[in-house]
Amino acid sequence: MAPDFFEDPRRRDIGQAAEEQTFGGSEALAETVVAGRGRTLRTDAWRRLRKNRLALAGLVWICFMIILAASADLWVPHFFGAPTAIDTSKVAQQSLLSPSADHPFGTDKLGRDILSRTIYGARVSLIVGVVAVAIMVVIGLILGAVAAYYGGWWDSIVMRTADVFFAFPYILFSIVLIALLGFGLQTVFIAIGVIGWPSIARVFRSSILSVKNNEYVDAARAMGASTPRILFRHIMPNAVAPIIVYGTMSIGGAILTEAALSFLGVGVQPPAPTWGNMLSEARSSLFTAPWLMLYPGLAILTTVLAFVLLGDGLRDALDVKLKE
Amino acid sequence: MSTLLKVESLKKYFHVGQGLVTARFSKSVRAVDDISFSVEEGETLGLVGESGCGKSTTGRCINRLLEPTAGSIHFGEIDVRKLRAGKLKHYRRDVQFIFQDPYASLNPRMTFGEIVAEPLVIHRFGTKKDREERAKEMLKTVGLSPEHIHRYPHEFSGGQRQRVGIARALMLRPKMIICDEPVSALDVSIQAQIINLLEDLQEQFRLTYVFIAHDLAVVRHICDRVAVMYLGKIVELGGWKEVYNAPCHPYTQSLLSAVPVPDPEKQHERARIILRGDVPSPIDPPSGCRFHTRCPIAQFPICSDVEPPLDIVAGGQRAACHFAKPFPIPEDKM
Amino acid sequence: MPPLLEVDDLHMHFFTRDGIVKAVDGVSFSLEPRETLGVVGESGSGKSVTALSIMRLIPEPPGKVVKGDIRFRGDSILAMGEKEQRKLRGNRIAMIFQDPMTSLNPVYRIGKQIAEPLRIHKNMSRKDSWDAAVELLKQVGIPQAADRARSYPHEFSGGMRQRAMIAIALACGPDVLIADEPTTALDVTIQAQILELIQEIQARTESAIIMITHDLGVVADVADHVLVMYAGRAVEFGTADDVFYRPLHPYTWGLLESLPRHDVDEKGQLCPIKGQPPSLINLPQGCAFRPRCAYSQGVCTMERSGLVEITPGHFSACQFSGDSGFVEKACGFLSRER
Repeated sequence: MAPDFFEDPRRRDIGQAAEEQTFGGSEALAETVVAGRGRTLRTDAWRRLRKNRLALAGLVWICFMIILAASADLWVPHFFGAPTAIDTSKVAQQSLLSPSADHPFGTDKLGRDILSRTIYGARVSLIVGVVAVAIMVVIGLILGAVAAYYGGWWDSIVMRTADVFFAFPYILFSIVLIALLGFGLQTVFIAIGVIGWPSIARVFRSSILSVKNNEYVDAARAMGASTPRILFRHIMPNAVAPIIVYGTMSIGGAILTEAALSFLGVGVQPPAPTWGNMLSEARSSLFTAPWLMLYPGLAILTTVLAFVLLGDGLRDALDVKLKE
Repeated sequence: MSTLLKVESLKKYFHVGQGLVTARFSKSVRAVDDISFSVEEGETLGLVGESGCGKSTTGRCINRLLEPTAGSIHFGEIDVRKLRAGKLKHYRRDVQFIFQDPYASLNPRMTFGEIVAEPLVIHRFGTKKDREERAKEMLKTVGLSPEHIHRYPHEFSGGQRQRVGIARALMLRPKMIICDEPVSALDVSIQAQIINLLEDLQEQFRLTYVFIAHDLAVVRHICDRVAVMYLGKIVELGGWKEVYNAPCHPYTQSLLSAVPVPDPEKQHERARIILRGDVPSPIDPPSGCRFHTRCPIAQFPICSDVEPPLDIVAGGQRAACHFAKPFPIPEDKM
Repeated sequence: MPPLLEVDDLHMHFFTRDGIVKAVDGVSFSLEPRETLGVVGESGSGKSVTALSIMRLIPEPPGKVVKGDIRFRGDSILAMGEKEQRKLRGNRIAMIFQDPMTSLNPVYRIGKQIAEPLRIHKNMSRKDSWDAAVELLKQVGIPQAADRARSYPHEFSGGMRQRAMIAIALACGPDVLIADEPTTALDVTIQAQILELIQEIQARTESAIIMITHDLGVVADVADHVLVMYAGRAVEFGTADDVFYRPLHPYTWGLLESLPRHDVDEKGQLCPIKGQPPSLINLPQGCAFRPRCAYSQGVCTMERSGLVEITPGHFSACQFSGDSGFVEKACGFLSRER
């Protein structure tokens, strides 16, 4: 099977051969790329997230809670009574009812429906989680960026302030803040947001510093790009991924903090239901009516876990460098 | 042919220890310490040396990615060190950069199209559609398919990414490109593709290259003139033929003899000079000739006391050695 | 008598979420005492995985030897229990890693790290092993060895750390020394020192060396035999002279032609291999090199040729290597330049 070979094809026409190899090699190049066409980074990230079962479960659970909380006004009062409504049909017998068809999660001391209160509690928890984290992210991003970009004195001031915040016992700190600003939902947002920013600032600062060292930032400078362009086009998009991850996980943390504050009686005030003050009220009847503690407790556990799992999944999903 | 770039007495010192308290007592790393050279239009000047010799720092000073500590840089009539904002941006149109690491030098969140078109966006050329057309054309020029404009860097191999880095550098039709180790991260077979591409582009776009590399064979292949650096100094400068065939500086001689050649018989027969010890620290470089601590022909006290100037040895060849002489490597031993 | 080390049709595959990565997909060679085998190939060619497989340092899973065997003095390493393997590793077979910056533990003194294999394998006392470590440091050319043994890795330069790594590998007087890109992270002048040291050690200790590298110059410098790898497969194996002067496989030709040289008078045109190396998950049908090969024929897509002995001791995995007329014509360039 002697192949009837020509002259050496590479030598035969050096000019042409070189041309083929350096310029026209595109078919050969295209062939080796396995990935499909027209995919964006976002669809890629979504695809990777979907592969992570736990993260997906977290996402589904969060969506479920949001829908429950958002639509509560439409159906909860109708079926289970308003969260603050006392079931007066037979007052004496209706308090501390164990779960039944009428009250699937039972009732509390005052005869209020636990299911209804848990669903309305989700409203407070989710709103507190999201808004408080939004506040800490805004403060953290700005201060983290300032520290990383300007460096020197700015860096020292911001980071040392953050250290001072870390050194404070945060529950005490927020109680002091609340005492200063008065009770209310807004106060809870502010208290949690203000104590939470240092971690965000720290994560963002180190993320920017590592991105800043990449050659593509130098490349942009070498092209003559302006500082805002470098910052917003090249540094920020590559530096925010950890913030998305950390922020998502922080929502869980904020929900916990809110619960802790309400449990201590300095958060959202009764009769408005939150998971934290429900737990607080359940303390006295822990052994006689355990469901009082069980359902809000479960709600906190699952929701916080859902945010943490989602955050974990996002970490992998948002990493562009992870090749398939 | 006229002189395009003229660098004179360039110095770049980095301060180590940036604390508020220690700054006053800190030492400086003399990354580049008083070097001068010029680049003619259309030629390729190679800067070679081992890590820490200051070759990359020199490249970065030329297009002001780093601010020189002292010295002057002239690009044609322009005094590069005096340029401010707008003029500096204009200058950077003419002097582009190709980076070493094809993985780190492309923003992973931008498509090939966005990356290649970005220089046009920055310098406000054309409409979005024009820019996309130009990007497609340029991708084709560097051997990629125009359809790749919507794809992201992580889908491609090192060689293909490096082509994109090259396309980006060419978009503004620069006069000069500084290539900082453009092939050292690539495999041999891909490296040859990129070298050929760079050579073809030089012809096609009439480019001048400053080619920074540690691989002596690559530099020899692509460069017209070569500057050999050691510890922040140029120790030898000349045409590639002279530097490679008749090196005058003992450092160049040992560097050349240290690179193994892919030919067993020749490799076994070659005369080799193996340098002892390590490169000294640039924080506290040796006195006199910086090479004297490792030099096989150093004589004392002259070499440790007097710094040799970069003097003409023969024709266009210069060497900074008190005992510079052509090193006769017999033809058959090479 | 069986060869010192024999790798026989090794297939090491990695089972990942995205598919089977055929990192090593058919590699065979044998090694005799005092021999130096150069393993060349580009990144992803499976040369490092082959070395790590010999050391049994590939985590399983995801890795798995799906076929083939590795034998040390006739005994299968793959069939050995963990205890026997440990006896071999670091003792009879030792390895030098690529990056001297990360392969030494920063919290222990250099001397202690060199003494460690001696204490494990030779049951030496603390004092004796320390003295032996100092002696080893002397042997690898570190001045004032007694003092330097007390240093920590960060106090050593790159070249000195690589010397220390070599001292660790040599501690137990291994029969086989595997050097995985030992000079890639080093500067040229330091590389020359280390290569000289490795050759000097070999002359003294009679151990066999497997030198893994992407640099054909290094191979030409040290190797007696050369194994060329591509996409996880061995494509050519023979003596250094055979592979450099009478290469049989088109990939070897491509490699030799891609290299810029600093030792020939004129600048020749470089002839790169076109295209990109294939994905190891999705290897082309038949010969893995076929899409990039200038001489491929229909038959190359159909079947894959294993290593075939063309002339005594010289193997090639190309369908056409047996046709001397073809080989002579196609690689005529080699004689022209040399």
